[in-house]
Amino acid sequence: MLALQTILDGLVLGGLYALAAVGFSLIFGVLGVVNLSHGAIVLIGAYFTWFAWHVTGMDPLLCIPPVMLVLFGLGYIYQRGLIQLAVDRSSLLASMLVTFGVALMLRNALVLAFSPDFKSISPGWAFSFLRLGPLTIDLVRISALAASLALLGALAYVLNRTSIGRVIRATAQQELAARLCGVNARHVYAVTFGVSAAFAGASGAILGIVLPFSPPDEANWTLNAFVVVVLGGVGSPSGALLGGLLLGLISTATSQLIGPAFPNVMMFLILVLMLMVRPAGLLGNAFAGTR
Amino acid sequence: MLREAIARQRWWILAALLGLAVLACVPFVLMPFHVRVGQLILLSTALGLAWTLLGGFAGYWSFGHTAFIGLGAFAAGLFETQMLGTPFMRAQPLVGLGLGLVVGMGACAVVAGAVAWPILRLRGIYFAVAMLGVAQVLSELTNSIDAFKGSMGLVFPRIPAFGLRQEAVFYYLLLIATAVILAIAFAVKNARIGHGLAAMREDEDTARMLGVPTERYKITMFVLSATLTGALGVIYAHSLGYITTGSVYRTDFSLNMIVYNLLGGMGTLIGPMIGSVIMVVLTQVILGGFLNLHMFLTGAMLVALVLAAPRGIVGTWLAFRRRRRDAAA
Repeated sequence: MLALQTILDGLVLGGLYALAAVGFSLIFGVLGVVNLSHGAIVLIGAYFTWFAWHVTGMDPLLCIPPVMLVLFGLGYIYQRGLIQLAVDRSSLLASMLVTFGVALMLRNALVLAFSPDFKSISPGWAFSFLRLGPLTIDLVRISALAASLALLGALAYVLNRTSIGRVIRATAQQELAARLCGVNARHVYAVTFGVSAAFAGASGAILGIVLPFSPPDEANWTLNAFVVVVLGGVGSPSGALLGGLLLGLISTATSQLIGPAFPNVMMFLILVLMLMVRPAGLLGNAFAGTR
Repeated sequence: MLREAIARQRWWILAALLGLAVLACVPFVLMPFHVRVGQLILLSTALGLAWTLLGGFAGYWSFGHTAFIGLGAFAAGLFETQMLGTPFMRAQPLVGLGLGLVVGMGACAVVAGAVAWPILRLRGIYFAVAMLGVAQVLSELTNSIDAFKGSMGLVFPRIPAFGLRQEAVFYYLLLIATAVILAIAFAVKNARIGHGLAAMREDEDTARMLGVPTERYKITMFVLSATLTGALGVIYAHSLGYITTGSVYRTDFSLNMIVYNLLGGMGTLIGPMIGSVIMVVLTQVILGGFLNLHMFLTGAMLVALVLAAPRGIVGTWLAFRRRRRDAAA
């Protein structure tokens, strides 16, 4: 029973990891940019939601659409105004430094705006739970998992079935050819970044109801996203889902079986081993990432 | 090749020696606080140079070089406190430090040698991230395994030497380390291997096709860079006096090594020197007054730096000079 409960907890955590990582994966796959400020964007989503809930008492799950909308806009501007500039003037590796600089700025800004203390979001239904035979699962976690899966499904639909999704995939595969077909590549990159930021924000809103958070956590969320992407494969929602669920299982199983201090060691060990064995990930679909 | 380079660049070498002589006088003139700032500048310069052996020359940007600062520091610290013991260290501090240096550098060489082959098969961002992972694994292991004393911390004895004040001792140690690393970097850059590395940086597959032993070169540079970084870690740990995991496995070290090179000029020797001086003076001295905005300003500076001078100060200056010469001709 303990094993089953561990697996269940791992899956819930994994859904959250997957959602938090999918945007990172998209940017890496399409733009080839490693966005070290991704974790900070996740936290911005969490703080927006916390603020709305704290001030107006709005249900955190209802906050997801406005948070996504706002962050889409911010992400679009961020890419077009800053990251694209860095890529043009220097290199992809140097753009990584720019995103790191932005991560530092955002973290500092969050500390100044919301204090360095831990915050958590607990809506009215936070303490109800379900019993499935001997297993218990609280409503918060179920809704978190459900929301994560729904959003990942929506993203997969957009990428695979809509015209903007087709344009994004085409630009990722070959920028020049896409431009020759009349695609405005810069606009597509910025839209991709916006989508990524929007999903990061949504995952932040969900993260807020599952776990407490504080500004320095942004580094952890960036690193988690990294591990998820390396595990699952770059550039696809299914890869992020697989990687996220695996990471959730690995970290709950490690703290259960080896010791509560070791999930991080295990996580990075797997990261390094995966990079050496199969850098494209289990469901590798790296467009720009491996070039 | 090296002899010609020495003859060709004799004025630069003379300037470097003169600079060393001037720097050696500093502790007798300046206040202890300024000597400490000098220590920090020397440490940063030496770290930037050690990083550039692989990152600047071969184009393999490591985002986790702090792994070797921490590894060197903890290997030396455990050896000195557990094997030699405090009484020995009190009686023979310099011998202890020397042995600690050997052990710390040895540990870095062994670990770097072990991971070099698999990890150097990765390129670009994948290599950068794998190194980030290596640094995290080492730091988490040091922290969670009690035998390594990462969470309890290690205490280093003071190093009294030649009647100098403590900060002056470490100033001189770091000055010597910087000079040695600079000499090594100069030799590497101008020897056969340096030209091979430059060819690899431009196009590794072509270089390999033309007969450059890329595999051997990059493994050599990785181990050399790691070992020198480890030596700096040992000295840095002694200068702190007490270390925990967090004080030597610092992500900002890893990133700063890149920033110094990027600011000064990637792949040059003078680049990391200029870059580290500017960055240390800016972040420690000028921004020292804005503690709650410190991170924000550092981040903003990083962004501005990449956008304003993507080729670094040296690169921008060379481009400027070339343009002026073209205009004159």
